[in-house]
Amino acid sequence: MTTSTGEAIQFWVLGIVAVLGALGTVGMRKAVHSALCLAGTMIVLAVFYLAQGAYFLGIVQIVVYTGAVMMLFLFVVMLVGITAADSLKETIRGQRAAAVLCGIGFGILLIAGIANASLHRFTGLAQANAGGNVEGLARLVFTTYVWAFEITGALLITAAVGAMVLTHRERTERPATQREQSEARVREGRNVTPLPAPGVFARHNAVDVPGLLPDGTPSELTVNQTLRARGQVRDVGGEQERRVRKLEQRSDEYVEGVTEGEGAPEGGRDRSGDNDGANHAEGAAK
Amino acid sequence: MDPLIGALVGAPLLGAGILLVGGRRLDRTGHWIGCLWAAVSFVIGVVLFADLLSRSPAQRTLTSHLFTWVPVAGFQADVGFQLDQLSMTFVLLITGVGTLIHIYSVGYMEHDENRRKFFGYLNLFLAAMLLLVLADNYLLLYVGWEGVGLASYLLIGFWQHKPSAATAAKKAFLVNRVGDMGLSIAIMVMFTTFGSFAFRPVFAHVGDVSQGRLTTIGLLLLLAACGKSAQVPLQSWLGDAMEGPTPVSALIHAATMVTAGVYLVVRSGAIFNAAPTAQLAVCVVGAVTLVFGAIVGCAKDDIKKALAGSTMSQIGYMMLAAGLGPIGYVFAIMHLVTHGFFKAGLFLGAGSVMHGMNDEVDMRRFGALRTYMPVTFVTFGLGYLAIIGFPGLSGYWSKDKIIEAAFAKGGTEGWTLGAVALVGAGITAFYMTRVMLMTFFGDKRWQPDAEGHEPHPHESPKIMTIPMSILAFGSVFAGGLFSINSAFLKWLQPVTGHSDGHSPVATWEITVATLVVLILGVGLAWQSYGRQAVPAVAPRGSLLTRAARRDLLQDDFNHVVLVRGGEHLTRSLVYLDHTVVDGAVNGTAAGVGGLSGRLRRLQNGFVRSYAVSMLGGTAVLVAATLLMRGV
Amino acid sequence: MSATAAAVHSLWTTRALADTAATPAIPTPHIEYAQLSPVLIVFGAAVLGVLIEAFAPRAARYAGQLAVSVVGLAAAFAALVALAADGYAQGRSHVAAMGAVAVDGPALFLQGTIVLIALVATFTFAERRLDPVAHGNRVDSFAAQGSAVPGGEQEQKAVRAGFTTTEVFPLLLFAVAGMMIFPAADDLLTLFVSLEVFSLPLYLLCALARRRRLMSQEASVKYFLLGAFSSAILLFGIALLYGYAGTVSYGGIADVVDGTAKLTPALANTTGNDALLLIGGAMVVMGLLFKVAAVPFHMWTPDVYQGAPTPVTGFMAAAVKVAAFGALLRLLYVVLPGMRWDWRPVMWGVAIVTMVVGAIIAVTQTDVKRLLAYSSIAHAGFLLTGVIAVSPSGVSSVLFYLVAYSFVTLGGFAVVTLVRDAGGEATHLSKWAGLGRRSPLLAAVFAVFLLSFAGIPLTAGFSGKFAVFKAAAQGGAVPLVVVGVISSAIAAFFYIRVIVMMFFQEPQPQGPTVAIPSPLTSTAIALGVAVTLVLGVAPQYFLDLAGKAGVFVR
Repeated sequence: MTTSTGEAIQFWVLGIVAVLGALGTVGMRKAVHSALCLAGTMIVLAVFYLAQGAYFLGIVQIVVYTGAVMMLFLFVVMLVGITAADSLKETIRGQRAAAVLCGIGFGILLIAGIANASLHRFTGLAQANAGGNVEGLARLVFTTYVWAFEITGALLITAAVGAMVLTHRERTERPATQREQSEARVREGRNVTPLPAPGVFARHNAVDVPGLLPDGTPSELTVNQTLRARGQVRDVGGEQERRVRKLEQRSDEYVEGVTEGEGAPEGGRDRSGDNDGANHAEGAAK
Repeated sequence: MDPLIGALVGAPLLGAGILLVGGRRLDRTGHWIGCLWAAVSFVIGVVLFADLLSRSPAQRTLTSHLFTWVPVAGFQADVGFQLDQLSMTFVLLITGVGTLIHIYSVGYMEHDENRRKFFGYLNLFLAAMLLLVLADNYLLLYVGWEGVGLASYLLIGFWQHKPSAATAAKKAFLVNRVGDMGLSIAIMVMFTTFGSFAFRPVFAHVGDVSQGRLTTIGLLLLLAACGKSAQVPLQSWLGDAMEGPTPVSALIHAATMVTAGVYLVVRSGAIFNAAPTAQLAVCVVGAVTLVFGAIVGCAKDDIKKALAGSTMSQIGYMMLAAGLGPIGYVFAIMHLVTHGFFKAGLFLGAGSVMHGMNDEVDMRRFGALRTYMPVTFVTFGLGYLAIIGFPGLSGYWSKDKIIEAAFAKGGTEGWTLGAVALVGAGITAFYMTRVMLMTFFGDKRWQPDAEGHEPHPHESPKIMTIPMSILAFGSVFAGGLFSINSAFLKWLQPVTGHSDGHSPVATWEITVATLVVLILGVGLAWQSYGRQAVPAVAPRGSLLTRAARRDLLQDDFNHVVLVRGGEHLTRSLVYLDHTVVDGAVNGTAAGVGGLSGRLRRLQNGFVRSYAVSMLGGTAVLVAATLLMRGV
Repeated sequence: MSATAAAVHSLWTTRALADTAATPAIPTPHIEYAQLSPVLIVFGAAVLGVLIEAFAPRAARYAGQLAVSVVGLAAAFAALVALAADGYAQGRSHVAAMGAVAVDGPALFLQGTIVLIALVATFTFAERRLDPVAHGNRVDSFAAQGSAVPGGEQEQKAVRAGFTTTEVFPLLLFAVAGMMIFPAADDLLTLFVSLEVFSLPLYLLCALARRRRLMSQEASVKYFLLGAFSSAILLFGIALLYGYAGTVSYGGIADVVDGTAKLTPALANTTGNDALLLIGGAMVVMGLLFKVAAVPFHMWTPDVYQGAPTPVTGFMAAAVKVAAFGALLRLLYVVLPGMRWDWRPVMWGVAIVTMVVGAIIAVTQTDVKRLLAYSSIAHAGFLLTGVIAVSPSGVSSVLFYLVAYSFVTLGGFAVVTLVRDAGGEATHLSKWAGLGRRSPLLAAVFAVFLLSFAGIPLTAGFSGKFAVFKAAAQGGAVPLVVVGVISSAIAAFFYIRVIVMMFFQEPQPQGPTVAIPSPLTSTAIALGVAVTLVLGVAPQYFLDLAGKAGVFVR
């Protein structure tokens, strides 16, 4: 059996995509882009599997790798911060050259070697899939390779235990009850109410955009603690501030127009101006 | 019974292990643990002895194969024991005298803070010495040989805070190395000749080997024996070895270890019998040392060194006997055993005297001690009578037999050797009487020591005098017991063989001659040291006396010939070494170091670098595999 | 062509119901539970350990875990001995679990060794008397809480609360089970899965050091990344070998290599492409060489050995080497003996480079753990010389060497845990100066281990080296032996240097102290000394044992 033209075209086109995706995975500065490139490669691989007659594998590739594993990757990447970018500057002298050289050398060896293997014809697919692809696979997994299949269970248990060991933080003391928390807040005298829930003052629906207080200053309390610690609070600046200031100016003018010479309430405007400056400085520092 | 042989060695080894590893928590009980294991070993020895006695003489050889170490085609290194009558004799001597000296040391070392360590070393010595005499092959014997050397080194230098002790230990070690070298080369030659170094196959094939080879092996074994047994020309260390604690001198440098050379020669009897040249060399070495040691013994004022000279001389007798071949083997061993008793007793007596005299060793500062130390006097006196060969006592039985055997050798050799042995007996009588008189008779010549303490001579505690008494008992009766019905001869004969030789002189004539010489020696000594007062400061003395005081100039000889010559040789070698060898070695070392530093830089801690190297490695691996096939 | 069409169509069509009903039932696989019992016992103990972690109160976990581990390992060892006594090591050896696991001499021997190593390692894992008591709790070598940020507030809280990571025991057991399957694996799939089964727990264990946690975590990540990389190459190699032979079972591949296979008609046209065999074989071998830390796949070793908690390092250094060399032996002796003329010269090169580089780099090391790491690399080279022999004595000598090496290594690392200063273990060599004055017994014990590493006669190291070099020389690899002896000489230099340092240099004023261990660590060290001396003085019995166990089943 030889390769059909259609399969050949499909292979060469998708092959290029897969390789580009793989290169992108390595070469992109942002983790999200890398992850997406990897997902692309995996999907292409799934198509290859399907085209080779390995239906179960193809579907599993999409469901498990692209669907589950890659999505988990993306979740993690999003949590870490989608803006985080790695520097691609190489600090070790000769590393990149050596890597490229070794990679190319190894690639040439494999290609030359395998191409030399004269695999112009291939057979056996029909027999392997004779009783149905899934059934054939099941037969192997539950007979010949049942031992390997079973001990994979140990791998999974280890993985679960490992995840717990490396990430689970058991509390060392009793968590404070709601009552104690509220008492502590009263005692401190700051933020007597609970923290503002997301969206209380929201003018924007992204989690890293702080809500604005009535006087137009952004309230950092409205942003998730993790993002705050990481310094990933979006600078509200620009548009929003300007709009608030314009609004205030208009209302001032209106009040001036109505009262005609009576003392204007200066405080709010001054305060907003101060805060504006402070916020910019803070943003720059971050 | 066979596992008991291993236990014989194991017991003191275990004791040494416990004592040396146990640390300070054993300081209070350590000495008794040491005694216990020595005694256990002795009891095992007695049990085995009883077992041997219950067998017929032909079946009195027990073997115990432990395991094979590194078996290679053509190279079989077995670890196994062989217990026959010869070994048994040694076992009883070593463990018996050893146990007594252990007990004695409890008292002698009472005020030494390192007493536990001392007993550890003593146990270690016992184990090594037992290994030496129980080994069934030369390689294992060599292990024991080095072991006793190590124990001896540790014990001579036991008071290492004294520079003289440290130097003496070093000297003993170095001189012994020369002998050890002989043994190791002998083993190698033996292996290339016989393809084995186990006693049985070697002795069985002696007949198939050329005379030259056997002589070589014999002379190398003699060299080894000279080193260990302090025979001329490797005798110089024994006198200095007296720096060690006195029990050590008694056990190691009188009764047991120094006789290992005699054991080696007797054990290798089959080889020597077939190599007359080597045998003659043994005789000559024995005869020379016999006189040499005796002369040194005459001149020393240090009681222990005088006894050391005597030891040398007595071992000379044994060597002489061993060199006589089957005529003398049995008597060499018999003298060895009786000497073990009386010399150990004499040393313990000397130790007791020193114990009572603030560790004074100069006999010119003793005198009139017989009333202050009656037990010591009596036991020492019995030892004295035994060593000079007073009729009926141990020395008489064994030494006379050696003199007889020397004459029985026949021909000029026989006459010469016999005459030397006879003269030696006279000198022995002289110097031992001298020691006796200077120590126990005459006037008090005590002087305060360096810190001004006046000595108050007193008898030693029971724990010291009881072992001395037992040894004295042995000095008196052992020889007689052995000679009843030629019991000792019959006991050893199956192992060593025996022939009577044909003495040109009748036995009674020799006995009479010996007695005459003995009386002459004693009389001369009485003349010089009994009737005249002994001067507290040594007179200048004759040329021979002065030379003898300096150990017959042996150290000077060593210094001029060996040390100076050696220095010149070393200097030129050092020059060569510095320029050529060091250049090469240092170059290599620097090269390795430099290479190491460079390679180390590859280990930069970055995973990506490591991954590249792995990838490159895989590529090379694949490429090489492909290349091998030429695909 | 019609077959393709059918295949493609079945993408979106299904057969009629009648056809599916005709599909024959899958036969029940035959699994010899009794013969697999050692592995199953260890797995069972591991799962039990996980359950203890889940349900037992914290205070009871340590004792429970220790008991489960010790009992489990002892039971596994007993099962192994029973199997060997039943003759599975010789006459009755065969392939169990549907061709996945070999039950034969080398497998049982290596499994026994691994279980004993694990038992000793369990003791060192459980040691709790070395660190000073923290807030009234005895602590071991493992992080109070793996998830806490190093040096952070949470970590302090965890320490104060007396937390300990008792999960290390089940993790150890999982690793042991994987290692037991690894040298016994009789198909490439089982080989790969068991490789992962024992590697994953090791990655985790590496990250759990109590002191110097950042270094420990870094070591773990490095080991994980490089391990994954090598696994990938191994897997690629497996795929190529499958492409070559049409099967992953060892015997099947060997038949194809020898040309004696009954070819599956389906694969008749594609099997037997030597390029696939050579490339695939080389890549699978590379995966194993990574685990044994052969140059140039050794780079992870020093970093990981240094960073990992020392008990883990000891376990890893000993057991991974045993398992990986077992697998390498089986692969080269069972699967690829037919192409030994291809791989032997290559392995020559690897062995030479490994011995020389390991010994040379060790010369300039200043950290005890790194020194031992490089020494383990050099030892991998020595072991490879035995592997290259391709003879029964090659197998037995490697088996013997592994026993000798592993217990000495365990003991050596156990000694390292005892020398401590305020910052935990004092691993810098300069701090070991004059140790012989301060603690003569410990220094003497360590000197014994070092002498054994250096291969001084009357130690286990000598017997082992002697055995492998002899096997190599008989196999015609005399130049290899010469290189081996030269690198031994280089290696002896730095071992002796440490001894000289310990005994002949003045101790530093602020030098480390020697902790008094509990009987647990003492047992490990004493066992190391005992094995060193017994195998050095009377190796014959064990050489015979290894010789008897030296026949692979196929």
